[in-house]
Amino acid sequence: MNTHGTPPPPPSWHVPPDPAARYAAGTAPEPDAWSLEKHVEACGTCAGRVSEAVRAGAAGPELALGRAELLRLVESLPGRADPTGMARAAGTTGAPVSTARAPRAPAKAGSPAAQRRLRTHRLLWALGPALRLGWVVGVLLVALGAVLLAYGAGQAVARPLLLAVAPVVPVAGVAASYGRHTDPLHELHASMPGGNLRLLLRRTACALGLSMPVLTAAGAVLPAAEGVPGAAAWLLPGLALALGALALGSWIGCRRASAVVGGGWALAVTAPALGEEGLPLHITPYIDAFAPQASWAAAAVVCAGLLTVRRTFFDRMERA
Amino acid sequence: MSSDKGGGVTVSGLTVRHRRTLALDAVDLDFAPGVHGLLGPNGAGKTSLIRVLATVAAPTAGRVSLLGGDISNHRERTEARRRLGYLPQEFGYYPGFTVREFVAYVAWLKEMPAASVPGAVERVVERVGLADRIDAKVKSLSGGMIRRVGIAQALVNDPALLLLDEPTAGLDPEQRFEFRALLRDVGTASTVIVSTHLVEDVATACTEVTLLDAGRVAYRGTPGELSALGDERRPGQEADPLGDNPIERGYTTVLRSHRQLLPEARR
Repeated sequence: MNTHGTPPPPPSWHVPPDPAARYAAGTAPEPDAWSLEKHVEACGTCAGRVSEAVRAGAAGPELALGRAELLRLVESLPGRADPTGMARAAGTTGAPVSTARAPRAPAKAGSPAAQRRLRTHRLLWALGPALRLGWVVGVLLVALGAVLLAYGAGQAVARPLLLAVAPVVPVAGVAASYGRHTDPLHELHASMPGGNLRLLLRRTACALGLSMPVLTAAGAVLPAAEGVPGAAAWLLPGLALALGALALGSWIGCRRASAVVGGGWALAVTAPALGEEGLPLHITPYIDAFAPQASWAAAAVVCAGLLTVRRTFFDRMERA
Repeated sequence: MSSDKGGGVTVSGLTVRHRRTLALDAVDLDFAPGVHGLLGPNGAGKTSLIRVLATVAAPTAGRVSLLGGDISNHRERTEARRRLGYLPQEFGYYPGFTVREFVAYVAWLKEMPAASVPGAVERVVERVGLADRIDAKVKSLSGGMIRRVGIAQALVNDPALLLLDEPTAGLDPEQRFEFRALLRDVGTASTVIVSTHLVEDVATACTEVTLLDAGRVAYRGTPGELSALGDERRPGQEADPLGDNPIERGYTTVLRSHRQLLPEARR
């Protein structure tokens, strides 16, 4: 590509009319076209000559239209500094040459519109693959299932059940979106500076960002039950478990860490209630009242700290 | 760090072990700017070497210096990764992405300045001949086109080190021809390492050949020197069992003599 910084040497040759015409018609061989383009960057006379040839060529009418449009735009700009200077520039020098080479290009390269488009995509990139269809469907099914259970079957267990399942949903989302086993781009991600922890954190944020509102909203429409915590009570445990899975993942990998954290939670919720009547769920003591919530908050902070300390372990290279 | 795009690659005592098999056995190599062909039979260690150089797999032993940085150092590895282009053998993609989105996604993860991304994406997609399909979904493309998307994503950051693992698989002869021209072009300023099992890729596109066998370097030289080995041994025979053209014969000759020298390396 272009070498920047070095002043162009004085041109030792000039573009003859014939190659200029061929260039304008788009029939010049690539190397000739390149050397011509390089030359007109430094030589005003030739730039003018080539521009003239281009305006006289097939792209002429389109260029005239574009120029008129540009001039109109410049005229309409409030507080314009030097409209005549800009108009002159648009009429004579380099600009028409560069557009004439690629009249069919989808282009607008680097234009504000293209950049805006890519910026919105940036968010969707992190989201898109993170929100694996199976997991998104899973989140919606959990929410819908809880509501149906509560109103369809008149079950009072719907809310405790939802509160017991919800905290592991984001963890499952992280496991489903990142790592060698589920991500078709893992090999590439592993070779790129932003493909490791940064990507993992974005995807975790997406998983939390989708599951938290959906599952909390579902919990909020369930009938209140005696002695069962509110719909938002799972949020801190959910955050702490997700961060815990990430931190543990720095040692044993995300998929295994998610399995350990998810399995541990399932065990903690069901094991103490095994002998009891009704649905074996031991959830309220974990999340009701201030003390357990404060503990979850503390656990989340500790896990976040661990994650910060262990951050370089995420881009460690795979060991055979 | 110099702004020089070269820098090259130095590998010393590189050993890679996959469970009980030795993929690379104390290999010493260096690669300067230019196009380097990596030849060898299946299981010779080509992919293992490329994956170590791509900073995906950690070496079991040995030192690897990429573009002036030691890859066992976190900071230097990150710096090298920004200037790396990698096309894995199994190239995965997200089916919902368009070509433009996919290449831009990679550019973003390579930490390119945001303002330069849209332009760089369009230039590189044009360079691999997919300008008219830039807004098509990747999954709607043919195998050869998907391969070219893979080449585009590797090239988007104008890498100082380009690593391609079997890039010509799935390309038709005309596309291979264009691809080799592209390689020569990139190789004028950057270090390009291409693993392939097609000797004609090496003969036409590479400035240097490294032949691996059973985890060791069996031969290094120019494609012309490898062809010359094939010419010496079997002049003017028809239906030569060593190969149809000089470079194939040279390849077979080198492999045979390497295996005789290292009987324990034979599989």
